[in-house]
Amino acid sequence: MSANNVKQPQKNLPTGVKGALVGAGASCLVLKAGSGYGWMLRPPGAVAEDDFLKKCLRCGRCAHVCPYDAVKMGKLSDGLAIGTPVIVPREMPCYLCSDLPCVKACPSGALDPELKDPLKTRMGTAVISEREECLSIKGLRCEVCYRACPVIDKAITVENYLNVKTGRHAIFEPVVHKKDCTGCGICEKACVLERPAIVVQPLQPPTESWYES
Amino acid sequence: MDIRRREFIKGAAAAAALTAVGLPVNAMLAQQAEAANMGITWDKAPCRFCGTGCGVLVGVKNGKVVATKGDAEAPVNKGLNCIKGYFLAKIMYGEDRLTKPLLRKGDKFEEISWDEALDKIAAEMQKVIKESGPQAIGMFGSGQWTIHEGYVASKFMKAGVGSNSIDPNARFCMASAVAAFMKTFGSDEPMGNYDDLDLGDTYFLWGANMSECHPILFSRMTANRVKNPNVKIIDFATRYSRTSKEADHYVEFKPQTDLALANGIAHVIVRDKLYNEDFIKANTIFKTGKTNIGYGVEDNFSFTDKEEVIDFDTYKKMIKEYTPKKVEELSGVPAKAVEEMAKLYADPKRKVCSYWTMGFNQHVRGTWVNQLVYNIHLLTGKIAQPGQGPFSLTGQPSACGTAREVGTFAHRLPSDMVVMNPEHRKIAGKIWNVDPESIPAKPGFHATEMLRALDRGDIKFLWVQVNNPFQAAPNVDRFRKGARKKGRFVVVSDAYPTRSTEVADLILPTAMWVEKEGMFGNAERRTQHWNKMADAPGESKEDLWQIIEVAKRMGMGKLFDFPKDKPLHQAIFEEYRQFTLGTGKDLAPYEVYKKERGVIWPYINGKSVPWRYNEKYDPLVAKGSGIQFYKAKKYDKKAAIYFRPYEPAAEPPDASYPFWLCTGRVLEHWHTGTMTARVPELHRAVPEAVCELNPEDAKKMKVKNRDKIRLTTRRGSLELLASVGERGIPGKGSVFVPFFDENKMINNLTLDAFCPISKEPDYKKCAVKVEKV
Repeated sequence: MSANNVKQPQKNLPTGVKGALVGAGASCLVLKAGSGYGWMLRPPGAVAEDDFLKKCLRCGRCAHVCPYDAVKMGKLSDGLAIGTPVIVPREMPCYLCSDLPCVKACPSGALDPELKDPLKTRMGTAVISEREECLSIKGLRCEVCYRACPVIDKAITVENYLNVKTGRHAIFEPVVHKKDCTGCGICEKACVLERPAIVVQPLQPPTESWYES
Repeated sequence: MDIRRREFIKGAAAAAALTAVGLPVNAMLAQQAEAANMGITWDKAPCRFCGTGCGVLVGVKNGKVVATKGDAEAPVNKGLNCIKGYFLAKIMYGEDRLTKPLLRKGDKFEEISWDEALDKIAAEMQKVIKESGPQAIGMFGSGQWTIHEGYVASKFMKAGVGSNSIDPNARFCMASAVAAFMKTFGSDEPMGNYDDLDLGDTYFLWGANMSECHPILFSRMTANRVKNPNVKIIDFATRYSRTSKEADHYVEFKPQTDLALANGIAHVIVRDKLYNEDFIKANTIFKTGKTNIGYGVEDNFSFTDKEEVIDFDTYKKMIKEYTPKKVEELSGVPAKAVEEMAKLYADPKRKVCSYWTMGFNQHVRGTWVNQLVYNIHLLTGKIAQPGQGPFSLTGQPSACGTAREVGTFAHRLPSDMVVMNPEHRKIAGKIWNVDPESIPAKPGFHATEMLRALDRGDIKFLWVQVNNPFQAAPNVDRFRKGARKKGRFVVVSDAYPTRSTEVADLILPTAMWVEKEGMFGNAERRTQHWNKMADAPGESKEDLWQIIEVAKRMGMGKLFDFPKDKPLHQAIFEEYRQFTLGTGKDLAPYEVYKKERGVIWPYINGKSVPWRYNEKYDPLVAKGSGIQFYKAKKYDKKAAIYFRPYEPAAEPPDASYPFWLCTGRVLEHWHTGTMTARVPELHRAVPEAVCELNPEDAKKMKVKNRDKIRLTTRRGSLELLASVGERGIPGKGSVFVPFFDENKMINNLTLDAFCPISKEPDYKKCAVKVEKV
């Protein structure tokens, strides 16, 4: 009876492809909607990508223990990532379990065992990738990403300014602050647009600038 | 009207990314536009959801709504919408739309024809009337009924069946505001309009999460502040919400102590002589009523107030005990803040508005607390002027237009009249062309009591239209069981399967929104018309057709024998309009509504009155009087300042149930989610109800965000995920659960205590136990 008819694009290969086909799929890397331009969103506590690929045993334990089935094992089409764990937020984001079962399950340190507080993970950072599509910036009262954010008012805030088109309404623009963004992808999943206007992208260190000092 | 180029380009881009399912609105539009070379026709309608009444343009092709967009010409929203309004085009096309009448056979439903269904209803009603009398017939209506539907239903029950047991779910929503407006001003509904959001500079919100529940109005208030740094927004609440975040001051009080807080503000205004003496003398009287008035938790509860007129000095003495210090003890609001807020309210340089919704209305002293805010505005004379006044926001699209103005309550008749008054029955009898004696003089069962009566057997036949009481009523499990008892017959008219159709004996597939012609009245007294634009699927029929057809079968067809030279809906409206003319609630001619983006009443001499009771705007005010509350006829056209004390809640927390349970809404879903949960995008945005905990309480219980918890009250138990530090932070010792989720029936836990005056239940306060699972 519930309108549970939300259908998401499904990956078409079953998990558990055997064999070390590292690199074989590199030329057919698939740009999945919302997965951030082909890069891999790793589970919480994942070490830097180069290191991660070395350390990850492709054992699938993190995926196995994920209560939301958010962690999936990479497939042929994922190229270099074959057999490694990935999160595709638009299918299922990371809900930042308080006990971090995926981190606990990792036997190799690919997911850093030092991570104890899920809100301290930095898997990536959300970015409003299409400002011109964002309904909130158009003046609608949407801000679904903001209210869905588990670090609301820190990782995503809302900035008000006048909607010059009507002259008497305010625009409530969601703004991401990467310092506090975990990269969980809940906002990307929640975005009401067909192609989300907010997506998780790789986290780059802040650029140093004389201007800021 | 053509689609504009911008929409077309936008749609075409989206069409490129089309998938087979879950088309977004603009993709649907693009697909249609490409296929049919823009063969879409557009027409105006008010939004189907809350009481704001945003205007939208509806795009229709081949009898189907293919797109909607904000109406740039609508004064309420100027082309904007909230995210629910953005997805309006999808609410009619859920996969499980009902298309045929369904009759219960044991645990199953069987398709039957409309003739069989209507015959069955007429036969069941006649049987009940014969065996138990007309008072055993109940109709559970709605603030989502169109004006036409409410009018037809009211006439059918009161003038035809002879039962006043017709009550809307609006009883659950704004009955306290009605009772308070009637008592204080002698006429229902606010005096101002939404322009006050642009024109004031000081906004007090009381128990209103306006940012989420009235998003477009809040956007307007925020724009005022963006333009004018002097504007202040003060949020009085028990839960830190998105509104609190946006407010300049968040003032948290303990549940129920808003009574003390409002009295404390009045105390300071009186103590420091910050009141407007001239205004008080010219425009007010002072009154008080009974105290210790009970909570209505027992069946057949009855209450009659004993009001007495007092003078200003007596009022001053009575308010004396609400010192800021005492208010601090009761409410937790620092005495200094009480002083500051009182001064802000009274500052002669500030234009002050108060807005409230369910925090005030769903309250065991709802009528009182509404009146206490009027008191502040009356003491300071800040009322009925541009940018100044008290304003009750509404939650349903026609809570005002239908429930309140048509008067679809158990005690009301159209245009502020009541069944108890023989003069009023006479007026109704004349317009309805029936013997006034045939309209019962005794009020029928109010909404909560009607459901209790169904359980007891005092109501044997219940017809539910355009709402979902078997999810939304407080302490609902009792009523769900009652509905299934032997000897009860429950009819539910709806577009979708709901928790209410689940307990029905007969389900009628029903046309919704623009699948029929209709009118809604919003919170600022704006009445809005729309044409029938789309076809209802299958055999769905509109509610008023269903009622008229049953009436004909019961020999009451004469009631609906409208002039044949006019379209039915016009004829119905024109009959109804007679009730309003010359009353100060005058509606405009039908043609005006067809043309305009809504018209604010009273509509006098071809003009809307934007601020009632103000000589400058309202021709009904006697010349030279400035402000005049001319509807308060009993007291020489003066409004009443009522002394009402603080009294505790019905079921405060104790050792066994140590927390307060509060329920409410989220922006993404509307009421019980029967429409919004069928929009895939909104369902994805907020897929289930969670329970918000205060972070300190959660820490003590070792509950973390998204841990599973169990809530238990004296009535029921429910498991939910905990939400800690997310969109809402309840005060310490409180938890909050939204009620949209049909899989998380929070109303199995809530208490059916109500305000003895308004009979509106308190969904905001009962005692609950919280355990980690």
